[in-house]
Parts: sequence; C-alpha cells; structure tokens
Amino acid sequence: MLDAIDKDLLKKVADLEGLPKGAFNIRKNGKLLQREVSANINIESSADGSGIVVTIKPGTINESVHIPVILSQAGLYDVVYNNFIIGEGADVTIIAGCGIHCGGLEPEGHAGIHEFRVGKGAKVKYVEKHYASGPGRGRRTLNPTTKVLLEAGATAAMELTQIGGVDEANRANEAVLGPDSLLLITERVLTEGNQKAVSANTITLAGAGSRANMISRSVIKGDSEQDFYATMEALAPCFGHIECDAIIMDNGRNETVPSLKVRHPDAALTHEASIGKIASDQLMKLMSLGLTYEEAVNRIIQGFLK
Amino acid sequence: MLELKDLYFSVAGRNIIDGLSYTFERGKFYAITGPNGSGKTTLAKLIMGINLASAGSIGFLGKEISSLSITERAREGIAYSFQQPARFKGITFRDLLAMAAGTDDEGMLLALLRRVGICSLSFLDNPVDAKLSGGEIKKIELATTIARNPKLAIYDEPDTGIDLWTIQPMVRLLKREQKEHGTTTVVVSHNRAFLEAADIVLMISEGKLVYRGDLEGALPMLNDLTVCNYRKCVGGKDVGCYR
Ligand SMILES: Nc1ncnc2c1ncn2[C@@H]1O[C@H](COP(=O)(O)OP(=O)(O)OP(=O)(O)O)[C@@H](O)[C@H]1O
Ligand SMILES: [Mg+2]
Repeated sequence: MLDAIDKDLLKKVADLEGLPKGAFNIRKNGKLLQREVSANINIESSADGSGIVVTIKPGTINESVHIPVILSQAGLYDVVYNNFIIGEGADVTIIAGCGIHCGGLEPEGHAGIHEFRVGKGAKVKYVEKHYASGPGRGRRTLNPTTKVLLEAGATAAMELTQIGGVDEANRANEAVLGPDSLLLITERVLTEGNQKAVSANTITLAGAGSRANMISRSVIKGDSEQDFYATMEALAPCFGHIECDAIIMDNGRNETVPSLKVRHPDAALTHEASIGKIASDQLMKLMSLGLTYEEAVNRIIQGFLK
Repeated sequence: MLELKDLYFSVAGRNIIDGLSYTFERGKFYAITGPNGSGKTTLAKLIMGINLASAGSIGFLGKEISSLSITERAREGIAYSFQQPARFKGITFRDLLAMAAGTDDEGMLLALLRRVGICSLSFLDNPVDAKLSGGEIKKIELATTIARNPKLAIYDEPDTGIDLWTIQPMVRLLKREQKEHGTTTVVVSHNRAFLEAADIVLMISEGKLVYRGDLEGALPMLNDLTVCNYRKCVGGKDVGCYR
C-alpha cells in the first residue's frame, strides 16, 4: 500500500513510521488511500466527494486523528475541503500535513481548506507540516487555508510549519473567537532559492474574555521572499498579540504588515516585529563555544524554528 | 601563557586600547579593574577574537593568534563569559551547555552543573531568551565557560546582577577551577571579593595598563578619583563629579 516515497513523506509531515494508531485518513494523489475510524472519531467523505468530515464526539479525551496527504503524481493540483467538528469538552490532537514528491518537470500542488468548529470548552491541537522533495524541477505549490470557529471557552493551538522544498505557498488563516476562548497560532516557514511564501491572517476576537496569540517565525534564505500579513480585530473586551520574527539571510526579502483594529474600549491588542539578520552577539557566543560560523548559523536557525 | 604586545584597538582615530603590553602566567588568577569605559571589555574581546587588534600581537601558549577566528581561539582553549550575554530564541541552557561541553550526555551535563554548583538544576531546560533575569543569564554564561574546560577563562563582570548569597560561592568556584584544573583565570570586576581573590590585580585606565601587582598596592589608586575619567563623563573642567 505505502511505497518507499510515501513512507518518507509520511515521516516528514506526520512523524509517522508506517500507519498511525487511532483514527486516520490518508489521501494520495487526490484519492483516498486508507481510512480508519474509532469509537469516538468518525471520518466520512463529504457528500460531493471534495474532502472529508471529521466528527469528534463530545467529551473525547486524549485521542488523535492523522490526516496526511501525499502527492507524487506529476501535473496534479489536488484541492481538498476538510471539515472538523469537535464536540463539547473534547480534548484531541489533529495531525495534518502534505508531502509532495516531485519527480519530473510538471508542477504539482495541493490546496487544503480546513475548517474547524471547536465546541464549547473543547480543546484541539492542530499540527500541520508541509514539505516537498524529489529530484524533479516542476514547481511545487502548497496553498493551505485554515478557518477556525471557537465556541465559548474553546481552545485551539495550531502549529503550522513549512519545512522546505515548497516553491510557492499562499497561506491563509482565519479565526473567529467566541467568549473566553483561546487561540494560539505558531507558524514557521523556511524558504530558500527562489521560493515565495505569503501568509495572510485574519483573527477576530468577537467574544468577551477571548485571547489570541499569533507567532510567526520566518527564515528567508537565498533569493526567496516571505510576506506576512496579520489583522487582528477586537470586538469585545479581550487580549490579542501578534509576534513576527523574521531572519533574513543572503538576499531574502520580507514584508510584514501587522494590523490591529480595536472596536471595543476594553480590548488590548499588541504586536512585536523583528526582522533582520541573525544577531551578531548570538553568532559570537556560539563561535566562542567552538562552533564554526556555519554551525552557529544552523544552530540559531534550528532553535528559532523549533 | 598569554602575551600581549603593543596592542591597539582603534575606532575612528581613538585608541580604545592604547599600546597595551602584558604577559599572563599559566595557572594564575587575575583581576582586571578600572573605570567604566576604560577598555576592559574591549581587551577581553581582543583576546577572544571578537574584536580584531588594529596593531600589536597576541601570543597564546607560544603561538601567534591575533589573526585566528573566534572559533579557532575557542578550540585553542580560550573561553570568554560575556558582560552582556546573548539571548536567543528557542535555545535552552541545556543546548548551550551541550555545545560548550561537546556532549549532550545527560549524566555529563548533570555532573557539569554539580561542578558549577551555582546554577539550579531546574534551569537546564529553560530557554536562554529575553525572559531570563539578569542574574540567571550571568550564571548560565559562567557555566558555559566552565563547560569548555578552558586553559584560559575570561569572565567579564561575572557578578553583575548576582545576589549577595551567590558572590562568595562564585569566587570560591573560580578559585577551585583555577586550582583543580590549572585554569588561568581572568576576572574583569569592580567587586572587592574578586580583587581579593586574585593573585594579581591589573588596572586599566583609558586603554592603558596603569597598575599591576597585589591588591594592597592598588588601594591608593582605587581611592584616587583622578584615575576615574569623571571629567570626561560630565564634560568640561568646571563641572564637578556627581558621585
Ligand atoms: N566597536 C566599538 N566602536 C566604538 N567604540 C567602542 C567600540 N567598542 C568599545 N568602544 C568604546 O570604548 C570604550 C571602552 O569600552 P569597554 O566596553 O571596553 O569599557 P569597559 O572598561 O569594559 O567598561 P565597563 O566597566 O562599563 O564595562 C567605551 O567608551 C566604548 O564606548
Ligand atoms: Mg565592560
């Protein structure tokens, strides 16, 4: 079922050695490869066949769902709409990810549109990794979209990572927060060569007592470019923070535009941005511990993206 | 073991280190003191290779090192604890210690921490970032220097931000390192505890070595305000010292 390339991609995007435990849905080249449901977690193909609906029963604790996507067919642009319905009081981890293996000259791409409805008091951890490899020169495109709706007291912690090899990425994250809900987004993107990545984020703090923290860490190497846009809008008494850090190497380029919109007098929104080369005091410290310049750069970037 | 000859460090026509010569002997404990801005940190960074000398030579164990990189000097056995340690993102104390010691073996790292003594074990997985307190980061900085097992250890004001209960243990630690490992130790400090612990006190003023000898001999100069560069810090000769 899984060939060597599939296994390598699964390892990279989902830390999986072979098939996962618990519920999972593996999609390969636009089709379902294998699926497993559990007592509390149901996975169904959506009515129009464009994706899946994952339904997690209220109160499901400590379970996980893996939904990796593998792409190794030249010329394919796979679009998938996935819906996650997380029942009240559940506490689950969802591991998504897309691995592209490109063997030829033709482009390959994937757009995953993921919508989450997190029920009252439920907690979800969402981990998404994007990675592309292979000897081919075809352009690899990954355009993930996540939409999150947090009901009262819900929590979502999202880790979105693009670990290399992706030529073009248009990332979009949208979230609407209900009362006393909490959203944590950490996005890490590394680009090199002529790659380009854009991340556009819109977070609406609609409910009283809601909190959001968006952290973006970018490493921009070679002639690559990364642009980061984040809009945070506060409609109620709430806290929101945006933190964007970009390390620029070689000729990397970056545009960072945080935007804070306060529509309520008791809202507090803040942002911090730091964009530039690796700080020389960090390099000198590591070199004084015996690391070469290159080793020091690698360690600092590894830590930064960890 | 460390021979500085006619050392200069000049920026924009100003000699921050101004023709300094001195030979440090193996296994001895030195304290360097002198007014703020006199060039102590600059000198330490010249030895570590963070600053490159404008003129002069630096001999280390018989080898000319003034053109070596920081990395090469570190590998020759020189270690430096920064006055203002770098803060990272996503790098923990454990990571730094492992890099310094060249091993990530848990047992060896714990043994190192016990040897250092002044860093609590609970620090180990703390990120070395902007959230650490001033004293905590200085302890971590000092531990990474000891973890190098250096032949020459230079500590740049290791006591800034350190609480009163830790100063004496820190002095004892550096003395013990000197004795048990034969580490040639150089401590840049304004703190009497370190000056008293030293075999030799060096005083720097305006980039020049103005005193070398025991602490007793240095006392008159430590009390003499003309050594201080207060006229410069307030500007003009009609103004008094604010202290
Ligand atoms: N790279 C540089 N460029 C310009 N000026 C410098 C540079 N490095 C040091 N200086 C200046 O040289 C002087 C000596 O600085 P240094 O940091 O060596 O002082 P210090 O003796 O360590 O002082 P302190 O006791 O405050 O730590 C200061 O006036 C400082 O501003
Ligand atoms: Mg100094």
